[in-house]
Amino acid sequence: MTTYGAGAMTNSIPEIRDADFLLVIGSNTSEAHPIIAMEMKRAVRRGAKLAVADPRAIWMTEIADWHLQIQPGSDVWLLNAMAHVILEEGLEDREFIERNTEGFESVAETVRRYSPEEAETVTGVPAATIREVARAYATTPKAGIYYTLGITEHTTGTDNVYALSNLVLMTGHLGQRSAGLNPLRGQNNVQGANDAGATPVFYPGYQSALDPGVRRKFAEAWGVPQSDSPGLNLNQMMKAMDDGSIRGLYLMGEDIVISEPNVAHVEEAMNHLDFVVVQDIFFNESCRFADVVLPAACFAEKDGVFTNSDRRVQRVRKAVDAPGEARADWEILVEVMRRAGLEQPDYPSPAEVYDEMAALAPKFSGISYQRIEAEGGLQWPVPTADSPSTEYLHKGGVLRGKGLFQAVEYRAPAECADPEYPLVLSTGRTLYHYNAGTQTRRSAGPQLKQPEAFVEVHPRTARRLGLDDGALVDVVTRRGRVRCRAMYSRQVAKRVLWMPFHFPEARTNYLTNDAGDAVTGTGEYKVCAARLEPVAEQGPAEQRFRGAFAAAGAD
Amino acid sequence: MSDPKSLLVIDGNEVDVRPGETILHAARRIGIDIPTLCHDDRLDPAAACRLCLVEVEGARLMQPACATRTSSNMVVRTAGGRVERNRRFILSLHLADTIQERAVCEDNGPSRLHEMAELHGTAGVWPAIESERAARPDDDNPYVAFRPDRCIACSLCTRYCDQVEAVSAITMAARGARTTVSTADRLALTDTTCELCGGCIDVCPTGAMSERPALVYGKPEAELEKVRSTCNFCGVGCQVDLNVDRAANHVVKVTSPPPGTTVNDGNLCVKGRFANDFIHHEDRLTTPLIRAEDGSLQPASWEEALARTVEGLARVKSEHGADALAFISSSRCTVEENYLIQKMARAAYGTHNVHQCAAT
Ligand code: SF4
Ligand code: SF4
Ligand code: FES
Repeated sequence: MTTYGAGAMTNSIPEIRDADFLLVIGSNTSEAHPIIAMEMKRAVRRGAKLAVADPRAIWMTEIADWHLQIQPGSDVWLLNAMAHVILEEGLEDREFIERNTEGFESVAETVRRYSPEEAETVTGVPAATIREVARAYATTPKAGIYYTLGITEHTTGTDNVYALSNLVLMTGHLGQRSAGLNPLRGQNNVQGANDAGATPVFYPGYQSALDPGVRRKFAEAWGVPQSDSPGLNLNQMMKAMDDGSIRGLYLMGEDIVISEPNVAHVEEAMNHLDFVVVQDIFFNESCRFADVVLPAACFAEKDGVFTNSDRRVQRVRKAVDAPGEARADWEILVEVMRRAGLEQPDYPSPAEVYDEMAALAPKFSGISYQRIEAEGGLQWPVPTADSPSTEYLHKGGVLRGKGLFQAVEYRAPAECADPEYPLVLSTGRTLYHYNAGTQTRRSAGPQLKQPEAFVEVHPRTARRLGLDDGALVDVVTRRGRVRCRAMYSRQVAKRVLWMPFHFPEARTNYLTNDAGDAVTGTGEYKVCAARLEPVAEQGPAEQRFRGAFAAAGAD
Repeated sequence: MSDPKSLLVIDGNEVDVRPGETILHAARRIGIDIPTLCHDDRLDPAAACRLCLVEVEGARLMQPACATRTSSNMVVRTAGGRVERNRRFILSLHLADTIQERAVCEDNGPSRLHEMAELHGTAGVWPAIESERAARPDDDNPYVAFRPDRCIACSLCTRYCDQVEAVSAITMAARGARTTVSTADRLALTDTTCELCGGCIDVCPTGAMSERPALVYGKPEAELEKVRSTCNFCGVGCQVDLNVDRAANHVVKVTSPPPGTTVNDGNLCVKGRFANDFIHHEDRLTTPLIRAEDGSLQPASWEEALARTVEGLARVKSEHGADALAFISSSRCTVEENYLIQKMARAAYGTHNVHQCAAT
């Protein structure tokens, strides 16, 4: 985030157990990050207060002191109202604001208009609860905020993060153990992929690709001039594939045909491409569009590092040989570059690749395989070989000068419920499956616990439609229609539906909205308007559904 | 630092008294390791196994070090005849209650009970205790096998389930020699709140809770080679040990490094511990494929596939420019691989169109 330094957890995972107040927002922690949830449970057992803001009554709400059951997409209202309370009651940390931040006035100005009473009508959270939680947060020194995709997967994702960061800055809950702002990364190495520069705007180590000086540095290092035309983010790539400005695609380890919002559209766009390479461990859905498929090694078959949510660079070690002729992704990439005419050093192992990157990115310059071997995982920044691992960020003030307040106004989600699509559909992951399901759906346990695609629907909503628990139903949005099983659930509010996205035979992302956040381009997976259509003839439908499942499922 | 009045003495050493600290932890601070069986730093003490009993001056009975808090002027002895006799006695007693032969007992994972017995000695082999433990009804869950005849009722598994995983799927049931682990209403594990985290397997000192797929595979952990790595699912970055059967080139199971050593503190979730069938799945791609004239994908050599790759990308670039190419990478791949793909996009092909697939 641009507010203070690079986007990463400011605290460490082991610090969570010592927090005295936790605000968990847009994170189904016990399912998406079970081990972080264990740390939170531990804090709560010790007596920490827990507030969970989520449209669903997720498991964490069972041990929470407060469940703020917000209407999907109304986060900015909630967070601004909390800021409103903090300022109204004089609970802000004047000294911290004075010393470490900029732009406080404009935020104070903005949030004055966000009263908890009005917030109640938009978010559905009682004003009294908002006040209580705001007070508890502001007055507890060791107070941490934890969020994930529930915050970022919106057209207003960036605003949501600003609103959170404003709370952190005005209370000074930063630069200490157990107090900070913590995005929990959804996938093993999201942090590391960003760190390594697999993003159009940054070279490795968050060095701006828009900065000519940075480009010159890399041009020199790699011996090739660097383009000054800005790159496209994922969301823009999808659109460019559609309008024909992107004609060739190299896909490494991702199944965009299942993981991207508005999948039908993506499939159509894939058809327009002249040339597609897919490099993966399984024959995934995207392979159907490929000109070349390259078999890759999985994590157990190669060396390297992953960087986790708390900036910890840890080793991946080769345990077994890859099957058949499959090769490690890094070896394939080096070979392709060579054949494309870019001379490559003879990397004996990924350790030397890491060294090359570390030499170009000051944040990681002090990290090496030898150090990881000797000290265990290292948390960046580690600028030199003698700098220690960094447990929490912004110690003694804010990184890179001053922390910038950013006033944000509420904007409604790109798509709201209306008479034609009266419900709000939200999506997410579950404990037992993982992303496109290519790995977990080949495992017995997850298959036993959650064998089929389902949609969670409040019993009242279901009964009004004459829908039985377990019946097949069509979920319909402006983009598509997906058949799955209705599951009665009081976890969701009455006008809200929730679906996991792990099931290829019922692709949730046929339904979701690809309207992207203005800054990050992240699709709005979390909110779109939908309706339910009961399936008239359950018998035959049931047989077809089972058939689809058998075709898509494990073995 | 410490007030001279608030001192205790452990084996002749003066130790400062810290509020709420147990004898076990105070002793550890000065390098004295009191043997334990039912203790785990992540859990509230249960004082169930009695292995850690120590002498406290003024108390007639010996006290469990894992559960007894220190106080000023306390004088503790963690060694000596009475303490050591108790240890040997307790170890014999528990061994009589499970599988006495170490190799058999360790058919799944290592047994802490046998390890302690080897370290501290026993009071001889006692006749096996015939307990009629009520077995759970047959349970078809794929991961956790419970063998009640081995259970010594230390309650590590149930406390773990209760306090760490916090789902309370299993509880201690019945009394006395019949005490054992059960589920509410004796349901099958998959019909309870169990999240299949496998933590109960990890903490069990006798192999009563064990890992079904590894038991079926049939090689005890001692014969497998552990390779330390990082879990490939969520962003927590749990450290895992891949337990490899070298001869068969096979990952048999995944275990957690000991508590207190890595970011996951000895814990894993269902995905990290058990969802590893994909590694050796028959659906894995094993050879490059290229699109043939008739539109089908056909097996090809690396040579052909790489040539086709480079040629295809070069054609797009020459016809439509570098920015007509897009490179999408994955957070599933390593840091080095993500570094290389952005280098490939930027240096080999001349475009900044590179993005990893997950924004968070
Ligand atoms: S696997 Fe985990 S959740 Fe299930 S019984 Fe064991 S400790 Fe409890
Ligand atoms: S099953 Fe194992 S861990 Fe659980 S009470 Fe019995 S011996 Fe202890
Ligand atoms: S370790 Fe103290 S009684 Fe078991």
